[in-house]
Amino acid sequence: MTKIILNGREVEADPKKPLIAACHANDAEVPHYCYHAGLTPVGSCRMCQVEVKQGEMPPRVVAACRTPVAEGMIVDTESPKAHETRRECLEFLLKNHPLDCPICDKAGECMLQDFTFDEGQAAARTDEPRRKLEKRKDLGDVIVLDQERCILCSRCVRFFDEVTGKMQLVIADRGAHSVVETFADRPLTGNYQGNVADLCPVGALTLKPFRFKARVWNLFKKASTCGECSRGCSITTEVLRGDEVKRFRPRYNADVNTWWMCDTGRFAFEHPNRADRLAGGQRRGYADSELISTEEALDQLADALGEHRAPVVIASPFLTVEEGAELLELCKQLGSEARFLSPAPNELGDEILHTGDPCPNRRGLTELGFAPVEAAEALELLAASKAALLVGERIGELVGTEGLAGLPTSLQLYVFDTNACLAPAAQLSIGVPDHTERLGTWVNVDGHRGKISAARSAPAGVRPLTSSLQTLRASIAGAEVTA
Amino acid sequence: MSPHPTYLLDRARLADSHTLKVARENGAYAAFEKILNDKPDPKEVTEVVKTSGLRGRGGAGFPTGLKWSFMPDASKDSRPRYMAVNADESEPGTCKDRVLLREDPHGLLEGCLIAGYAMGLDAVYIYVRGEYRLPYRRMQDAIDEARAAGLIGKNILGKGFDLEIHMHQGAGAYICGEETGLMESLEGKRGHPRPKPPFPAGFGLWGKPTTVNNVESIFNVPFIMTHGAAWFRGFGTEKSPGNFLCGISGHVAKPGVYEVPLGITAREILEQYAGGVWKGRKLKGWFPGGSSTGIVPADLIDTPMDHDSIKGIGSMFGTGAMIMLDETACVVRASEVLARFYDHESCGQCSQCREGTQWLNQIFHRIENGQGTMADVDLLESLSRGMTPGKTICALSDAAAIPTLAVIKHFRDEIVEHIHKGCCPLKGGSGRAPAADRTEVHA
Repeated sequence: MTKIILNGREVEADPKKPLIAACHANDAEVPHYCYHAGLTPVGSCRMCQVEVKQGEMPPRVVAACRTPVAEGMIVDTESPKAHETRRECLEFLLKNHPLDCPICDKAGECMLQDFTFDEGQAAARTDEPRRKLEKRKDLGDVIVLDQERCILCSRCVRFFDEVTGKMQLVIADRGAHSVVETFADRPLTGNYQGNVADLCPVGALTLKPFRFKARVWNLFKKASTCGECSRGCSITTEVLRGDEVKRFRPRYNADVNTWWMCDTGRFAFEHPNRADRLAGGQRRGYADSELISTEEALDQLADALGEHRAPVVIASPFLTVEEGAELLELCKQLGSEARFLSPAPNELGDEILHTGDPCPNRRGLTELGFAPVEAAEALELLAASKAALLVGERIGELVGTEGLAGLPTSLQLYVFDTNACLAPAAQLSIGVPDHTERLGTWVNVDGHRGKISAARSAPAGVRPLTSSLQTLRASIAGAEVTA
Repeated sequence: MSPHPTYLLDRARLADSHTLKVARENGAYAAFEKILNDKPDPKEVTEVVKTSGLRGRGGAGFPTGLKWSFMPDASKDSRPRYMAVNADESEPGTCKDRVLLREDPHGLLEGCLIAGYAMGLDAVYIYVRGEYRLPYRRMQDAIDEARAAGLIGKNILGKGFDLEIHMHQGAGAYICGEETGLMESLEGKRGHPRPKPPFPAGFGLWGKPTTVNNVESIFNVPFIMTHGAAWFRGFGTEKSPGNFLCGISGHVAKPGVYEVPLGITAREILEQYAGGVWKGRKLKGWFPGGSSTGIVPADLIDTPMDHDSIKGIGSMFGTGAMIMLDETACVVRASEVLARFYDHESCGQCSQCREGTQWLNQIFHRIENGQGTMADVDLLESLSRGMTPGKTICALSDAAAIPTLAVIKHFRDEIVEHIHKGCCPLKGGSGRAPAADRTEVHA
């Protein structure tokens, strides 16, 4: 490590990283646009100006992203000269910016807004006509480009080139006429396009599914883990007004996904936002199903399970380690074998992040002692048994609602599920929270323990699965004692 | 003809000077052959260039020998090493290298060969400006002729020395004359200058040690090797020795490229060589070394043309390409033309340059068209200060800002008068455009 003096304090700096990384690592904010820790620094926005004094040379203002650290270097990120240079730089960046912040999806998390607030001057000195470029250039299924807002930092260009290995965006033309474009106007492809919207420091690249859907300051954000594959990327879940999940965004994790995530995971809010959520318990009546409270349903379930020896138990692949441990205890109590549903690998696997295995907690459940079963195998097991318990988020759908519908009516089926998919055979369904509503741990393919957390509350009346299972076990144990 | 001794253009004046036969009969390749025969330590060759005090003729005036010595020691660094000869002469006003490429290509090749020997180069790339069709062809023909004569390629003249020399034609971008932009362009990429560090000597073409030299700098080398460093120091001044090619243009009677010693006064070049200001008019101002060097007023015409003296009057020696403006020239119009050039040529990487060059152009355009406001002068000055010095990856931003600051420093009153009248004061009050639709800019 190299020792430098940063704002009067001696700190250690990684000599393999540029000066700006040392500043950021030591809580000295340096405004920047083109620099991103996950991409090659190009030093083109010229925003990250700091004052540096080396040896006997007079202090000078340099771009921190392209300045190597050197032993004894004296760095001042707050010097008047550095601030002045940054203010000048911002004035140039804003010269052609359309200032359409009121209708910009990036507003509120825009680096141009934030640093202008920090550094900029209040008054604009330009009355020149601003650049007129494409305001909504369609770049495929995921991204819309606003060329007028673009400040040409080239992060998006470098992302495709360096991270996905396939250069899809370029800066075309020259000077003040420069624009970001795709080769020959082709749409963007691949499963990682969404990352460029996160990378974009301004509102030039926006996500089609998020366009005009929410003001970002109304989103409640909670650190969590993605459930779309066994990579378990660290993410934030962003919920609008305690209700609808609007975004999943990658969260830096050096051990798992660094700064990125795939589009499959990013846009996996179809399930959390479903309308057919099961709130409380649902009992199959003679004519139709009937809604009851979770507590009543648990009582009835305890009675029903007491009558059967070793029912088939199949857990959802979304079960957390904590829920799995609880279910394992129940299995022991019932004399059942612990199994979890293991959907077949999909074709989404790649060399970057997606593993192609849609079980977010395969490793966690396997380590607990759960045995994987595929959907067809699960249906065979169910068909051959007198009673069965399906447990966890989306389990009915993953086993297959059609297959469940075809099961013999002699089967006594009990389900803990997020969604109401009461199969003809199911006697009782009890609602559980989905992975945006509960706490727990998933173990990813490499053994990393990813925390999931509740970004919103579960529908009213829904109890956490662990608590439901504890109640159930206590009831069954009590009944055995009385008997 | 010339009142001062010359050496650079002597051969170029001969008929068919571009052919190998004429060039060789008149001394070309003699210095190189002597080196091949004597086999001096390559470091000694660099040392001679260093001792001669030769300063780069591409604009910055950096000592050539010192630049060569930055190349890593071949015994410690086995990577291939290259030299790029910068013949992308695109600075407005500069036209000296064209003469050398066109009339004495073998002189340049000999310089390349000596540089190749001194620095242990594997290949030399001559990057020629796209618009230079004839110079490019002459240069290519010279390479073909020299190669056929065993002067380029493997085992040159049977002496066991190898050097490849390749040509590359630019595509008309000013920015590719910036050394790192030139290297990017040579690599087949867009001519976007690279941030420094790393410097070319450590990480240049394809990441290999590279030195980039101007045509005229390399062209001087064979003469220095033939006659010695002391002889070379007999020309010019102590800190800027040698002759240089002065391309003088603008409002003069005889514009052209003249070989003159460094340190000669600008007045002598103007009056003795270029025949004075044309049409018997008076001089208003002049650019000492190309459009990127700040304009200076006529009363500084007695300044010696060398790096330090020109720096002393607040400008830059640059490429020594003097652009003269007579008393009828409008500095606003001249500035607008230059601002448009830099706006057009900015590569667009750095914010200050991309937006600043456009902004300067827009303001000068408004003033020229009678739509300027009094706030514009201060705005021009303040914006230019935001673009310089060293705030961007390369010096194009400075090249646009410095002449703007200079024109405000020396001709502020004329710009103000221009704005005030809403038209060019030199055109008798009937400006180029009516001021009817002028818009006020918020101060």
